[in-house]
Amino acid sequence: MSIAEVAIVKQKIILPGILLGLLLFCPLCVQAADTARESAVPIWLCIPFAGLLLCIAVMPLIKGEWWETHQPHAVIFWILAMVIPFAVCYGAGRAVETVLECAVNDYLTFIILLFGLFCVSGNITMEGDFAGSPRVNVGLLVLGTLLSSCIGTTGASMLMVRPVLKMNSWRKRKAHLMVFFIFLVSNMGGILTPIGDPPLLMGFMRDVPFFWSLRLFPVLIFNMVLLLFIFYHVDKRMYRKDISEGRKPDISRPGTQFCIDGLHNLLFLAMIVGAVILSGVLPGLPVFQDSAGNVLGLQIFGGVTLSYPSLIEIVIILAAAFLSFRTTPKDVRTRNHFTWGAIQEVAVLFIGIFITMQPALMLLRQVGPDLGLNQPWQLFWATGALSSFLDNTPTYLVFLTTAGTLGFTSGIGTSLGTIPASFLSAISCGAVFMGANTYIGNAPNFMVKSISDENGVNMPSFFGYMLWSVGILVPVFLVDTLIFFL
Amino acid sequence: MQENREKCMELANRVYDLDGEVYSCVGSSLGRTFTGNRESTVQNLCGLMLTRPGGHLLRSELALISNMARTIKDKEKRAQMMAEYDALLKEIEALPDSFGKVDIVDLSRVELNLTARKKLSEKDPLVICISRTQGSAGNDIGFELADDLHINYYDVEIFNQVLNRMEVEKGSVGDAETEHFEEFDKYRKSRFNLKKWLHEFNRYHGLSKQDAVFFNMSDLICDLARTEDCVIMGRCADSILTNNHIPHLSIFISAPFPLRVQRIMASKNMDLRHASRFLKQMDRQHQKYYDFYTYGRWGHPENYDLCINSANYGIRETIDLIERLIDTPGKTGNEGA
Repeated sequence: MSIAEVAIVKQKIILPGILLGLLLFCPLCVQAADTARESAVPIWLCIPFAGLLLCIAVMPLIKGEWWETHQPHAVIFWILAMVIPFAVCYGAGRAVETVLECAVNDYLTFIILLFGLFCVSGNITMEGDFAGSPRVNVGLLVLGTLLSSCIGTTGASMLMVRPVLKMNSWRKRKAHLMVFFIFLVSNMGGILTPIGDPPLLMGFMRDVPFFWSLRLFPVLIFNMVLLLFIFYHVDKRMYRKDISEGRKPDISRPGTQFCIDGLHNLLFLAMIVGAVILSGVLPGLPVFQDSAGNVLGLQIFGGVTLSYPSLIEIVIILAAAFLSFRTTPKDVRTRNHFTWGAIQEVAVLFIGIFITMQPALMLLRQVGPDLGLNQPWQLFWATGALSSFLDNTPTYLVFLTTAGTLGFTSGIGTSLGTIPASFLSAISCGAVFMGANTYIGNAPNFMVKSISDENGVNMPSFFGYMLWSVGILVPVFLVDTLIFFL
Repeated sequence: MQENREKCMELANRVYDLDGEVYSCVGSSLGRTFTGNRESTVQNLCGLMLTRPGGHLLRSELALISNMARTIKDKEKRAQMMAEYDALLKEIEALPDSFGKVDIVDLSRVELNLTARKKLSEKDPLVICISRTQGSAGNDIGFELADDLHINYYDVEIFNQVLNRMEVEKGSVGDAETEHFEEFDKYRKSRFNLKKWLHEFNRYHGLSKQDAVFFNMSDLICDLARTEDCVIMGRCADSILTNNHIPHLSIFISAPFPLRVQRIMASKNMDLRHASRFLKQMDRQHQKYYDFYTYGRWGHPENYDLCINSANYGIRETIDLIERLIDTPGKTGNEGA
């Protein structure tokens, strides 16, 4: 790398790095300082989490090849950097319990779901000669966004990403398309039902009515219209640039041919969606509860148990993935350029993220109720800002619990208390929408990035992506605040 | 300089071949990294190597190949591809930085100039692309120039052929005069009809009809320019041929607005107000069409080899001027067509 290029990379890294650091630490530091006396979680325990995030953001830029081969080592390093001091502070037993609790109850179900959807959608391939143009791409994004609420953001992302890549294979400039794909299909589309995104499933498990989120349809439509308007014009510009360079799709055949191979895998997709719904419904049934109302399960270590509903979910998802592989010819996967690279990368990075973010989540649980948030717009931004970097499910729960303890007497009756509809809307939208702010805000984001990287799309770096989200999403969220949450 | 260029071309060809091999080893159908045709891709890569606007641009393009290569399941093949990739990367990094700084020359463009044509091959057809403002007598100049040089003249015929090729009814295009209005309609949104929309959506692979016509017309223009000497009027032909690395001469003909108005008033029997409005409308439409498909600026001198104010010369003198430029006197030049 020449000196000039090193300077450019440094310029690209230093400023965003400082900004990320400020973004990560400032709100928590301030609050931690206020609550330092009663806080049992030292703020410095969050350093490994920030370190891992910075590694994910910076290493591909400065040591790309090294990072590719040493990701697992870096992740292990940051996990140890969190676990050892944690064990010193709280004892080895609690450290093991915290790690196992996170690995078994959060990470395992998360990665199995991702794995199942990745396998099943990889066995569905589309053969056709639609040419990716701005209007076709807008149509694909609309379809994907609406599909997200039916089969989940991960399911819709995995199902749609390859057709989108294929239709646009004639084009050179595709990164913006995948960025908007992440905005809409991998995140926002999941707002309408508890199947759409895990935070809403958590809400459903706490007695938020299943169809309540459909009331957020106007918010989704408003955001879709704004984002698709911007997308159409950006894509048109890129489309013109591609055409002006002499690129053109193959439209020599009169008429469009379109067929889907591996369509039977939709059954397995339905199986997975069913498993997710079951995981939300079964814990509420008496047969899965002991006399004290606790969900029954297999005890792993100390208080860590893998609940039977989760076990059932895992078995169904793995069965669906297995059947999908057994019943689909290998040729379909080859044509889909199916590799394990994307899921492997996500599995490795997210085990690190899940474990190292535990102190940050503990801190959030402690300081969350004391933040003094009592306006919908405050909850929208607080939930959203933290969901951009932390897991959006616990973040959603923290603020849902906070809202439930505010003592409202009218609104949605949940097991956490009565929550006004405007508060619930703000928390839901913040958790679901703002997962799109970073690559790590939601798992499908990283999956889409990895699959795009493998298929000739020059995806933006971690900070490059944040420029898109800060430049486009944040203004849209500001407008949302003015219209829906003030 | 020439040696460097040859080296870059060789490297660019190897990059293109490597990309193709990697894609074939992967067996994917989602599209290779460099999806353009070989000639354009190689030229663009070569341009990147020569001018080196920033090493990281070239590097990020090449990295996409390695991303795909790393997913090859056959270990032996993967190692082979990665070895070739590494070797290419080293050779590219070893290229000197000072390429292309000698002169104010766009190396990729200069080869397409007819003045440089002799250095390439005498077999290259003589292709003259003429863009013109309405009323500047560009059509007359183009037609008479083609007649002088005994070469083919393509204007509305191109459009007709495309329409034939796409099996669209021919009645929508009339004579040369109505062609301009047709072109105008081409930009204007017609009333929405769902059945027609679905039919067109299927027929043109999800593209708009305008885009599909443009893509087909591009193919046709390239076919013509590769096989015969000709004058091509408008149709963004200059940009299309540049992108496809086909040698040609691009000319823009215009004239002062008042003189164009006078000509339109006389030739179309219009009054002053209608003629002015018509001209402004046509200029806007030409500009919109050209700017959209070429991402350039219609009428801006940097897009063309020669810009002529036809009012300063008149039709005959303008033709002579162009003939002097291409060093091919009328009637004695190319006897093709």
